[in-house]
Amino acid sequence: MREDEESLSAPEAVRLMTAVAANRDRAAFAGLFGFYAPRLKAFLKRSGMTPSAAEDVAQETMLLVWKKASYFDPARAGVSTWIFTIARNARIDRLRRESRSAVIAEAFDPSDQPDAPVSGEQAIIAVEREERVREALDLLPREQADILKMSFFGEVTQSEIADAVGIPLGTVKSRVRLALGRLRQILDDLK
Amino acid sequence: MINHHPSDETLFRYANGSLESGPRIVVAVHVGACTACAERIARFEALGGSLLHDIEPEDMEAGSLDQAMAMIDAYEAGRGEAAPAKRLPRADVGIRLPEVLDDCGIGPWRWIGPGVRWSRVTLPDDDSANVMLLKVVAGRKLPEHTHAGYEYTQILKGAFSDARGRYGPGDLDEADDDVQHQPIVDKDGECICIAALEGQMKLSGFFGRLIQPLFGG
Ligand SMILES: [Zn+2]
Repeated sequence: MREDEESLSAPEAVRLMTAVAANRDRAAFAGLFGFYAPRLKAFLKRSGMTPSAAEDVAQETMLLVWKKASYFDPARAGVSTWIFTIARNARIDRLRRESRSAVIAEAFDPSDQPDAPVSGEQAIIAVEREERVREALDLLPREQADILKMSFFGEVTQSEIADAVGIPLGTVKSRVRLALGRLRQILDDLK
Repeated sequence: MINHHPSDETLFRYANGSLESGPRIVVAVHVGACTACAERIARFEALGGSLLHDIEPEDMEAGSLDQAMAMIDAYEAGRGEAAPAKRLPRADVGIRLPEVLDDCGIGPWRWIGPGVRWSRVTLPDDDSANVMLLKVVAGRKLPEHTHAGYEYTQILKGAFSDARGRYGPGDLDEADDDVQHQPIVDKDGECICIAALEGQMKLSGFFGRLIQPLFGG
């Protein structure tokens, strides 16, 4: 198989996504697949899935990227963020299917609903949002950034976080709350 | 003017996918009408995007791209043949419901107690979620009570007040187990909300106590 893509800049990702949406461009899709599929697999594993389930959901997510390409709107979210939300919903759907016998065709995603038109100012913010959040994480105290990253992977239990960060279990929750408040403050200041 | 929003933790859980489907749809109703919270969620989702972008990749199995291309071929070949999604039955509840609920089933109003009616909301992909519309007549005072867990209540029409403040259209009341209150619906009109409960806990919240018998509590 082809080598995994080492890097993909945000504008290049948008160019590939747009080519998939507008021209059903398979080479562009292969470029996205090379970068994102192995990262989706790693991400889903870290969220508590077995390697084979993570592989499946990564595949499923990339197929949904093809199917839903026309919904991608660079004014609303970067490509990584958009693909993350698709994977998140595919994972929710998978867990739900596993927890009961009935089979449902496709995950219902409230965010697929049409939104109000985006203003010019919002569009600029959307492009920069991933970058700003990354910047804000760097500005957070290391411990708070670590707690946020760890709790983002929902399957990581609070006691695992407590072990890793070396704080009592009881304080994890309040630390998460504190870190979220601090992150919000930094992001508001960056505006 | 929206005065009550979901907490950061709730929006964080919405973004990372760990919020249960019932509370999730109630939060989605709020976010559909609240640009401030839409932006807060977009930030947390961008956090997810940057974590995905920066994670150490893990090799896919050999031939995975060929497999993906084969799935695309199958999809493109079968396009247009897909049966239209099954529509769940929707009763007229007397108000225009938010668009995020378009694919949900809506049950008829049912009497549940003096001055209170409820209607079951069925999610298209999770019929086990406890989500409901509630309608309380003007001026009704609900018994004083505490919560046994999280309840998410988004006000669609009218308003109620308690010791914490007044909750009007667009507000989301996220009430946890520490809240003790005695809500009163405004005198000038009925109040309609969409509410969801987290988990299978004992229901004793704002509306939970009223509807507990319905869930065999
Ligand atoms: Zn809000």
